Amino acid sequence: MQKAMDLWSEQKIVEASNMFERIATAEMDNWLPYYYVAMVNTTASFGEKDEKKLKQQLEKAKEYIDIAKNISPDNAEILVQEAMINTAWMAFDSATYGMTLSGKNFQLYKKAAELAPENPRVVFGQAEWNMGAARYFGKDVTPYCMDIKKSLELFATFKPESQFHPNWGQERAEQVVKDCKS
Amino acid sequence: MKNQITFIICLLLVSVSSAQLRVNGIVTDKSDTPIFGANVYLEGTYDGSSTDENGKFSFETTETGTQTLVISMLSYESHYEMGDVSYFKDISIQLVEAVNSLNGVTLMAGTFEAGDNSKVSVLKPLDIVTTAGAAGDFVAALQTLPGTTTVNEDGRLFVRGGDASETQVFIDGLRVFQPFNATANNIPTRGRFSPFLFKGITFSTGGYSAEYGQALSSVLLLNTIDVPEQEKTDISIMSVGGGIGHTKIWGNQSLSFNTSYVNLAPYEALIPSNQGVRWNSPYESISGEAVFRNKSDNGIFKLYTGFNHADLDIEQENINFEDFVRFQLTNNNLYFNSSYKHFFKSNWTLTSGASVSWDANDIGLLDNIIDVKETGSHLKLKLKKGFSNRFNLSFGAELFNLDYEETFKAPNDSEFKSNYDDQLVAGFVEGDIFFSNKFAMKLDARVENTSVLDDFSFSPRVSLAYQSSEKGQFSFAYGDFYQNPQNNILGYNQDLEPQKTSHYILNYQYLDNGKTFRVEAYYKDYDNLLKFDTELPQFNSQFNNLGSGYASGLDIFWRDNKSIKNLDYWVSYSYLNTERDFRNFEERATPNFAAKHNLSIITKKWVNKLRSQVGLSYNYASGRPYNNPNTTEFLAEKTKAFNNLSFNWAYLIDQQKILYFSINNVLGFNNINNYQYADTPNVNGVFDRQTIRPAADSFFFVGFFWTISTDKKSNQLDNL
Repeated sequence: MQKAMDLWSEQKIVEASNMFERIATAEMDNWLPYYYVAMVNTTASFGEKDEKKLKQQLEKAKEYIDIAKNISPDNAEILVQEAMINTAWMAFDSATYGMTLSGKNFQLYKKAAELAPENPRVVFGQAEWNMGAARYFGKDVTPYCMDIKKSLELFATFKPESQFHPNWGQERAEQVVKDCKS
Repeated sequence: MKNQITFIICLLLVSVSSAQLRVNGIVTDKSDTPIFGANVYLEGTYDGSSTDENGKFSFETTETGTQTLVISMLSYESHYEMGDVSYFKDISIQLVEAVNSLNGVTLMAGTFEAGDNSKVSVLKPLDIVTTAGAAGDFVAALQTLPGTTTVNEDGRLFVRGGDASETQVFIDGLRVFQPFNATANNIPTRGRFSPFLFKGITFSTGGYSAEYGQALSSVLLLNTIDVPEQEKTDISIMSVGGGIGHTKIWGNQSLSFNTSYVNLAPYEALIPSNQGVRWNSPYESISGEAVFRNKSDNGIFKLYTGFNHADLDIEQENINFEDFVRFQLTNNNLYFNSSYKHFFKSNWTLTSGASVSWDANDIGLLDNIIDVKETGSHLKLKLKKGFSNRFNLSFGAELFNLDYEETFKAPNDSEFKSNYDDQLVAGFVEGDIFFSNKFAMKLDARVENTSVLDDFSFSPRVSLAYQSSEKGQFSFAYGDFYQNPQNNILGYNQDLEPQKTSHYILNYQYLDNGKTFRVEAYYKDYDNLLKFDTELPQFNSQFNNLGSGYASGLDIFWRDNKSIKNLDYWVSYSYLNTERDFRNFEERATPNFAAKHNLSIITKKWVNKLRSQVGLSYNYASGRPYNNPNTTEFLAEKTKAFNNLSFNWAYLIDQQKILYFSINNVLGFNNINNYQYADTPNVNGVFDRQTIRPAADSFFFVGFFWTISTDKKSNQLDNL
C-alpha cells in the first residue's frame, strides 16, 4: 500500500493505479485499494484533454468505486469519492452531464452528511459544491464559507483509522477559504 | 557427512531459488506494437508490475506451483495465462482489443438518439425541449432533424416521403396507439406526452430493428426514467394554462405524476386566430400522467399511465360551402403501459410488458355525428442473452389486439356502422455480431400474422457498420417493413393486404470533439399501397392494393458545440425525391406532404451575464405540390416555400424559478399550407380556389416555471 502511495506521489499514475488494482484483487474484502484505484483515475482525469482517455479513466473509477460501495456500504468517504467522479464528468462537459449529475451529487453529499456529519471531507465537499451554485446566482456565499471554516477545524482534529484511510482535502479547503475573505 | 552437507546446500539452493523467481516478458497488441502501462500480476497475490514504454515487464515472486498470470489493460480484453510460475519467463503476450461501446463501431444507420452517454446521440436531453419553436413538444424538436419534412398544418412526423401514419411511437418498447392529441384539420397537433418523464429518445428514420413492426417509415422510441434523482414539485403557469408535477421516492420505489390544464380561450381573446377560422370554443384539455417504478436487486418494474380529455369547437372556411363549416370534437384517451425487466445471473435479460389504450372521439361535422371508438392492446415478451461482448442474441414474441368501431349518424337519423377486429401475432429474432472494434453486423428477422387480413409476412433486416478511422464510420442497412392499412379503411374493407416498403440506407458519420457530421443516402421502395376510387375512403369505395412508389434522398446533419464559446448550433438539410401512386391518385406523383428541400438551422446561446439561454431557429421547406383541376396535369403545381424564424428566451430568475418566452414565426412570414379547389367549376368553367393558411401566422408563449426540491437547485430548464 505504501509503495503504491509513493508511486502516486511521484506522479506515476499508471503504475500507482495498477498497483492499487493488484492489491485490490488480492484483498477482495478491503474497500481501500478499490477506493484508491477510483481516486487515482479521477484526479488524473481533471485537465485531461484526450476525450477517449478521460472517458476510460472515469469509467474505470466508477467501476471500482461501485465495488468499494459493495464491500463497504454506507461509507461517507466512498460517497464523497463518487461525487468527485461526477464532478469530473461535469468539468469535462457541463452541457451533457450537468443537468443529470448535479442532482445526483446533491443526493450523494446529503447522504454522506447524514452518515458522517463530522467528517471534514464531507463537510468541505458539500460546502464547496453549494458555493459554486450560489456564486453563479450572485447569492451570498457566507454560510458556505462558515461550513468550510468548520471543515478546517474538523481537518485539524481528524484522525484517520489507519495510515491508509483517506486523509486528504485540508490544503484544498485552505485554498478555498482564502477566496471567502476577498 | 560431506554428502549430507552437499544435500543440505542443494536443498537451500533450491529453496532460495524458489523464493525469488523472476517473471518477465513483453506485452504487445495484435500488430506487435508494445503496450505501455498494462497491469501484469499473479492472481490473488501482491506480486506484479506495470509494463514500460517497450511493453516489457519484470517482477519477482515467492509463489510456487501453478499460478494464473493476469495481464489487464484498459480497452483490451484481459489475458489469463495458467501454468507453473517457472514457465513465466521471457513470455510474450498479445492482447486483443476489447469490443466496447465507447470506442467501438456502432450499429446506427437510420438512427438518431437523444441521451447522455450514447455515441449515436445527436441531441442532448435538454435539446428536445429548449429548441426555439418546439415549445416543449418533443415531436417538434425532432422535426429539426434531417429526414423529416415540415408539414406545417399537421404537427406529426413525416419521414422520408412517408405520410404521418407510417411512423409508430413506443414507450418502453410498447406501442402507443394514439401518440398525438386529437385535433381539427389544418390545426397542428402536439405529442401527448410531456418530455418530463423520459430519459432517452431514439428516433429512427429507417432500417430499424426487427423488434419493431407495423411502421413503414419510422419509429420513435421513448424510455421512461428508471430511477428519479430526487423528490421535487414542479409548478408551471403559462399563457395557455398551467400544470403541477410531483416526484416522491421511498427507497427503491418512486412515483412521479404530472397534470396539466390547457385552455387557448384567453390567448384567442387577446390575439384571435382569424385566417379562415372562427373558434366557438378554443382547444381545452385536461391531462394527467403518472409513472410508478420499483427497482429490486435484479429487476425493474414500471407502470405508466396517461389520461387526456380534450374539447374543441371550430368553424372553418370551405370553398364548397357558403358558410364556415363547423367541427366539434371531444376526445377521451386512457393509456396504461407496464413493463418488467429482469436480469438473470447468466447474462440473460427478460423484458415483458403490456400496454392498453382506450380512445373515444365524438365528432360533430356539419350536422353529422361521428363516433369513433378504438381499443388497442400490446403484449410483448423478449429475451436477450449476451454470449460475450462480441455476440448478443435477442428474440421475442408479441401480440397486438385492435378493436375499432365507427358510427356515422346523418341528420336524417340514418346510421352507418363500420368496425373490425384484428389479432396480430409477431415473432422476432435479432443477432448483434461484433467481429472487431471496426466491424459489426446485425442480422434480424420478423414474422407477422394478421387475422383481419389473413396475411402472413416475413421481413429480413440487416445492418452493417465499419469504422473507417478513429472518428469516422460507414453504416449500411437494409430491411423490409409491413404495415396494415389504417383503421378507418379496414372498417370498410378487409379483403386487402399489408402495405410494404424496403429500405436501403448508406450512412457516414464523423465525430470529433463536440462536432458531429453525418450524411445518409437512402432509397425506399413502396409496394402494395392502398388505393380507392373516392375522394376520401368511405363505406362504398372500391379499395385495392395496386399502389406503389419510391422515395430517395440525402440527409445531412452538422452539429458543433465547441468552436464558439457558449454557442451550440446544428444544421439539418434533407433532399427528398419521391413519387407514389396511392389513395385516389390518377397516376404516380409527388404527394402534397413531400417538400423537395428541407432546411433547419438551430442555434442556442448561453448568456452568462443575463443568466439566460436564448435560442433562434430557422426552418425552410421548398414548395409542396398541389393539384389544380384547371390544368390537365395531376399534382403539378407547387405552393410557395415555407419559412419560419422562431425565437425563445429562458431567464433563470434564481436557481428554481425560470421565466420563459417564445415567439413562433417572428418575422410573420405569410405561409401557405395548401389550396382548396371547388368541387364544381363556376359559370366560366373555372374551378375557384381558396388559400389554406395557418389559423394564425405567429404564436406567442409566456410561462413561469417553479421547481421546489430539497436541493434548491433543480429547475425546469430541461423541460421547456
